[in-house]
Parts: sequence; structure tokens; C-alpha cells
Amino acid sequence: MKAKVSALMDGEMDGREAADLIARLSKEEEGLEAWRTYHLIRAALHDDGRLSGSLTGRISARLESEPIVIAPVIAMPGGMSAGPARNRHSTIAWSVAASAAAVSLVAWLGVITPRANEVATEALASSKSDRPVPEAQVAAASPASPSIRPLSEEADDYLLAHQGYSPRSSLQGMAPYVRTVADQAVRTGGAR
Amino acid sequence: MRGFAAACLLSLTGACWADASPEALDWLRRIHAATQKVSYTGVFVYQQGERSEASRIARIADSRGGIEKIQLMDGSPREIIRERDLVKCYLPEQRMVKIEKSGDARNFPALLPEQVAKLALYYDVTLGSTKRIAGHECQQVILSPKDELRYGYRLWADTQSGMLLKAQTVDRKGSAIEQFTFTQFSPGNVTRDQVRPSHAARNWRVADASARNTNLSEAGWTVDGALPGFSKLAEVTRRLRDSNAVSQIVYSDGLAAVSVFIEPLGARREALQAGLSSTGAISIYTREVANHRVTVVGETPVISVERIGETVRFRQPR
Repeated sequence: MKAKVSALMDGEMDGREAADLIARLSKEEEGLEAWRTYHLIRAALHDDGRLSGSLTGRISARLESEPIVIAPVIAMPGGMSAGPARNRHSTIAWSVAASAAAVSLVAWLGVITPRANEVATEALASSKSDRPVPEAQVAAASPASPSIRPLSEEADDYLLAHQGYSPRSSLQGMAPYVRTVADQAVRTGGAR
Repeated sequence: MRGFAAACLLSLTGACWADASPEALDWLRRIHAATQKVSYTGVFVYQQGERSEASRIARIADSRGGIEKIQLMDGSPREIIRERDLVKCYLPEQRMVKIEKSGDARNFPALLPEQVAKLALYYDVTLGSTKRIAGHECQQVILSPKDELRYGYRLWADTQSGMLLKAQTVDRKGSAIEQFTFTQFSPGNVTRDQVRPSHAARNWRVADASARNTNLSEAGWTVDGALPGFSKLAEVTRRLRDSNAVSQIVYSDGLAAVSVFIEPLGARREALQAGLSSTGAISIYTREVANHRVTVVGETPVISVERIGETVRFRQPR
């Protein structure tokens, strides 16, 4: 399956075989996984080895603006496997179509890797301005089960009582104390 | 001497080189030393889930424990000021000042040489790459937990001063669940004016913790907080919210700490919301034992606070 996805991406598959494969990809977990992996690798190579914050942003923007597209934009003429004598333009078109589809598919699969988070956060944090920064991309700790609630308002009292004993202060000083004074407006969901 | 011998033994063990390189452990000591020696001003951003807040921070480092001030720049203008081992939180929205004792970081046992070696039993400590943060070249130190009871950490320290300029807490999947990162950092002299409280706080409520040492077993309580690597740091009775007589026991593995609070359920009994809660790098487990509310607060995954909470027992003393 992985070899087939790779062949599809490199434009080495004829029209009917490609159409069949794409139909399967949308149904099979292994295929989706391979599709996702290869396109992440491709995106990483094109972005100089890193998933940039801007790529993450583009993916998000695409998700909002486009419907899910897995079928190719340009269909190859039907027919048997062509072998080496192949329409070069169609080959290129497949790669383009594959990339376009990949962006939508990657977004649909909800792929935001931890590194993408980290790089996006760095992009936020490395701005020299001391104006308030926009919302972060730091992942929320996903609870193991739905029975884990978010911390409530009264947690601040316990946190403050606890913070003085935390070894973190021997590495960071006072910075972790900001955990203990959550903005009331944020807690109640009001405007900041 | 025993500590030294143990450290030597550990360093001779082949496996230890891979788990905790001496260079990485040295960087932890440098980071700690910087909290005692470096005066600075700066701005850092705290991020956790969707919460993101920038704060100004200033520190005067001196031989008596120093003074630090944090001013939140987003939302309500809260301030936190530590002078020596006393911490005051100014909360203008509630018109309240909360006063707490802070463990004096000079005496903090966590990073004495024997303790650093102990850390290596429960965390892999290695060096990562270097990176510029807030205009300063930084060295990455990676702490990976060896079990599911702890979180991991990625730390970046300024190669010049040793100051920690970025710290992430990471979960088992390697996702950052909490992050502190400096966007401005200026080491150098800091004046007293820069660490003074901005709020006059006249007629504000004052909530003073007044913690004093205690022995909970005499009162009939047992807590088996002995998760691997965690040992007891403190046992106090203190004021917390409405009650004067809240017990607190603190356990730590040298990097993460867990507090167990035991407070009597008052006459006006509100419904106790038992169970687990968690946001960012903090987990809390609440349950009722013998007409008391037990609250376990940990800088750990939920499994750890739950396990400790389940061991709390009460037997009426004779």
C-alpha cells in the first residue's frame, strides 16, 4: 500500500489504477496513514525540513475554505498501464493534484504535529514586542477520559499554597506562580 | 561522603551515561545557580492550552534571598512579589492580597549534588541542541521521565548566564502542555523601584497562610504518598480559604511536587465535587475521607494524584 501511495504521488500510476487507489485510500486506515505520512515528509522537505507556522496556518485556512477533496483535479485518460511512454504533462498534473488534495486531506485528518505546535509557538514567542501575544498553539493536555474536569476557580487557592514547595522555583524562580492567579474573566469566559 | 560515593558509582555505571550525562546534570546546576546570582528584567509568556498571558518580571539577586516581582500584562493587573521567603499576590479584581511562605530556594534541597544524582534514577537527563531565544543563545536540556507518574521537561538555558529562558512541560506523547518562554531578557542591575508593588492595596482583604509545622499522624491521619522517587518535603497546618486548620503534606521527586490538603468539611456543607480535574501541567484529585475534604494537587499526570489520594486514611487516635 505504501509503495502504491508513493507511486501515485510521483505520478507513476495510470488513470484507472490511480482512481482505484484513491477510492481505497478514503476507506482504509493503512492507506490514509501512508498518505498522511508521505505528504508530511514532502511538506517538510519543501519547507526546509520543518513544518513552519505559516504552513500550519495555510492548512487551517484551507480547512475553513475548501470542501474535502480526495479525487484528483485533473483526470488522466482511462486505459491500461502505460509503461515508460507516458504523457509528461499528466504526470506533473498528478503531482500537483496530489499535493492540493494532500493539503485538504492532511487538514481533514487533523494532523497538527507536536513539532508544528512547538514551531508555531516559537514563532509567537520570539517576537520582540512586549505587547500581548495572540492565543498559543500549546496543546491542551487531553484528559484520559471525559470524567476529568478542567480546574475550577478554587484551584487557585490550593495552587498558591502548593507553589511555594515546588522545586521548579529552584530552576525558574517565580515564573510558575502565574499559574496560581488565573484571570477571573478568563475563568468565567468573559471578554478580556 | 556517602552521597559522593553513590554519585561515583552511578557515573561508573555504563547505563547512567546514556540516561543522564554529567554535562546535562551540570547544566541543571548552572540553571539553579543562575536563580541565585542573576539580577534581570524581562518579559515572558505563559501558555497552557488556549490560555496565553504575558508578564513583566524583575529580580534583584542578593545574598539574603533576593526580591522578585511579576506583573501580569494581560487581563487584570495582578502582581506577585517575593521578598526573601515571603510571597504576596495582589489581586485587584478581588481586592485581596494573599500571603504565602515560599521555600527559600537557597536552601532548596532539590539540586544539591546527591539530589541531582537521584533525579537521574527517575528521569533521563540529556543535552539537546542550541537555539536563540529572546536574542540569547541557549542550550537545551531534556528530562524524560522513566515512568508514567511524571511529566517530561524541555529546558533552554542562556549559555552566558545560565538563566532558564524557556521551559516546556511535556506529556507522554511529547506534546507541550505548558510553556514559559522569555521574549525579552536583560541581565544587569535592577533598582528597588522596579520590584515595588504597584497597588497601594488599602482596605483590601488580606489572606495570610500562617503555615506552621505539624505531625498529622498524631491527629490520626496516614498518607502513603510513597510513589517511587517521591519523598516527603513538608508537613504543615495552615489557613486556607475559610479554615484555619488545613493540613498540607508535600511530596517531591526533586523536580515535580505533590501536595495533599486535608480540610474539615464545614458546618455549611457544600456538595463536594469529588474526582479528577486537570489543566495544563496541574492535576487535582478530590475525595471525602472521614468528614474531611482531601485534595491532592500535583505537577504530575492524573494517575499520580489519584494514587496518592487513594492512600489517605483516618483512624481516630485513642
